[in-house]
Amino acid sequence: MNTVIEANGLTRYYGDLAAVDNVSLSVEAGSLFGLLGPNGSGKTTMIRMLTGQVRPSSGKATVLGVDVVKDPVLARVKVGIIPEQETPPSFLTASEYLDFVAKIRKIEGAGEKAQWWFEFLDFADKKDVLCKDLSRGTRQKLMFAQAFLHRPVLALIDEPLINFDPVMQKTVKEYLREYVCDGGTIFLSTHILEVAEEICSDVAILHRGQIVHSGPLAEILARKEKLSEFFLNAVRKDSYA
Amino acid sequence: MPELFVAMFREEWRMHSTIFGSLGFALFPVLVSAITFMGSAMIPYLEAVIPGGTLSLVVHLQFLLLGVMVGGFGLLGQEVMNRRFGQASLLAYSSRSLPISDRRIFTTFVIKDTVYYFLLWVLPFIAGVTFGIPLSGLSLSFVGLITVTLTLSFLFGLSIVFLLSMLYAKSPALLALVLSGVILIAAVIVWLQIAGMVYLFPPYALYRDFSPLVFLYSVLAIAILFSVSISGMTLSLSGKERHYPNRYGEIAGWLGWLPAAPLVAKDILDLWRSGAFVGQVLFSFLLPLAVIWVSLSVLSAVLPDVQILFSFAAVAGVIAATMYTWLTEFDSVGTYTFLPLGTPDLIKSKFTSFSVLQVIPVLTMAGTAILSGYAMEAFPAVILAVSVSFYACSVMIYLTGLWPAVMVYNARVLLSSLLMIGPVLLVFIWLSFLDSLYACSAVLLALPTYLLVRIAFRKWASWEKVFF
Ligand SMILES: Nc1ncnc2c1ncn2[C@@H]1O[C@H](COP(=O)(O)OP(=O)(O)OP(=O)(O)O)[C@@H](O)[C@H]1O
Ligand SMILES: [Mg+2]
Repeated sequence: MNTVIEANGLTRYYGDLAAVDNVSLSVEAGSLFGLLGPNGSGKTTMIRMLTGQVRPSSGKATVLGVDVVKDPVLARVKVGIIPEQETPPSFLTASEYLDFVAKIRKIEGAGEKAQWWFEFLDFADKKDVLCKDLSRGTRQKLMFAQAFLHRPVLALIDEPLINFDPVMQKTVKEYLREYVCDGGTIFLSTHILEVAEEICSDVAILHRGQIVHSGPLAEILARKEKLSEFFLNAVRKDSYA
Repeated sequence: MPELFVAMFREEWRMHSTIFGSLGFALFPVLVSAITFMGSAMIPYLEAVIPGGTLSLVVHLQFLLLGVMVGGFGLLGQEVMNRRFGQASLLAYSSRSLPISDRRIFTTFVIKDTVYYFLLWVLPFIAGVTFGIPLSGLSLSFVGLITVTLTLSFLFGLSIVFLLSMLYAKSPALLALVLSGVILIAAVIVWLQIAGMVYLFPPYALYRDFSPLVFLYSVLAIAILFSVSISGMTLSLSGKERHYPNRYGEIAGWLGWLPAAPLVAKDILDLWRSGAFVGQVLFSFLLPLAVIWVSLSVLSAVLPDVQILFSFAAVAGVIAATMYTWLTEFDSVGTYTFLPLGTPDLIKSKFTSFSVLQVIPVLTMAGTAILSGYAMEAFPAVILAVSVSFYACSVMIYLTGLWPAVMVYNARVLLSSLLMIGPVLLVFIWLSFLDSLYACSAVLLALPTYLLVRIAFRKWASWEKVFF
């Protein structure tokens, strides 16, 4: 199989705090990889390093064959990203924002693609509204559309579902599943375990910056354990260690 | 709300000290003091050439100018807090979670900013003058007097612009109406000789005639301007939903020939729709230039008019360079750095947007030259102003990358920029004094400008954003 993300000993310090501590992992093409972990465990920092937005203090990572430290911009050309805080520039409208992303990413036929997303995520009525006046969920829709506008082969998405209502969550989960079936790869961070249980093929659990478990989801479920129990155990064991 | 004030004050301090260390930030006022201290030595010489009273008026006008430059709180309202601290600020949003009103938070923010500017600029200046007494031969009581009058000049400038920007944000027509009303009343008062012109600038009137009554007049004027501005502010973090037709593609198309056109188009829409564009041009460019023009005109006894024009051009260039901060301060770059853009792309885009904005100093300078009867000198004056502006902008880019408004409060950055810009300015002003046409030699600044921007690409490429 084909490895799309390869991290070796990735570490990131903020002052004395090791937000991510010697993490190695690899993600195969066609998987829906869930990075799970409690608040502050380092998920966002991990995604930021893998997309070249934050430099690792040590360690190496390649994404689609690109060294993210040496060539962060090329890495971001190839992937789609949903950052943790949904913040499109405030004085563009939703449709202008997608045009802007299309120009930066040099996407052909962006108009129709954007239109498709407005309809698919059901916010065509908001496309002429300034981003700063959009509701949180609508901004999240926009960030979702932005990440997939260029049909990347890999998308790294940080808590993509958190602001969506149940209907939208279902739509998006289905989209992600299909996307992987069509050969794409998703690297997703979340602490909504039901979502992970439903859609992920592989999971890694991050705790205090370290990987405490990693492997196919099926392995965990095969032990007749619920993911949430497994998660709580993995995280708790470490706390008492 | 002292707790909120203290918390905001600390937040601002931490922001600066995490970026360049507490020492770099703490040394900033020390440096301002040191410069003033050394400047004190020149006072006896200046007084010998500049007629009495003129020098003090110029200094008071400079403090008015400082207030004018930082007082545009009304323009963006709460958006200012949002963009200064980014999403990270919990305090700016505490009205959502704590029982504190929006107005209270905004008022605290404005007061905190005022105190900060006071501590960073006004107080160190006065301290420098005080330490410089042995050099300048000024009396202690005189220093006491200007401590009061300069502080009031600063506050007066700040509250005037706060009021004007608040009115402008409400409606430009309202601003025009109020402004013409005030000018009319002032004209009548001066014309009927009810009071002298000097009373239009109360802190300076106080300097001329230090009496309890004039003091009260100054303080009241500031208090009224300030409270009217605060209470007039329209505050709401969630206004009505604003709709606009899609203009982005069109604008990006027109600008297609420029480097980084997609980002420049975004900047233009951002400046225009936020209302910051016209507002900034009025309050951060034209108004300061008017104050500078008045300051220089006061010197007409010592400088021929044409030299005033060229000095003005050079200074206008420096003020025009601050347009770079309009583009960076009010843009949260975090909102698109996850796209495939590197810091060099962002700097390139800001520099291009800056170049587009240079139309404004070109027009202003040409207009000033023609209106003051020096149509023949308009061309060299424009060249001088714009070359200086580009050069000063490149120095800013080199020294502060994308974060000029924050990084300037680093002692080293301030010192370097003074050393890099000051002598250059003097050389070209001097050349223009020799012959107006020599001012055109300022185009030579294009070379260092180009080089500094290139070096900045490399210098800032690996710099990681540690804030926002
Ligand atoms: N810019 C920063 N400066 C200092 N510390 C930081 C910074 N960003 C993250 N941290 C710290 O690094 C640790 C990991 O943070 P991170 O945001 O990666 O966690 P997370 O797993 O995404 O959490 P959450 O589930 O709450 O989003 C935290 O302890 C956080 O305080
Ligand atoms: Mg996170």
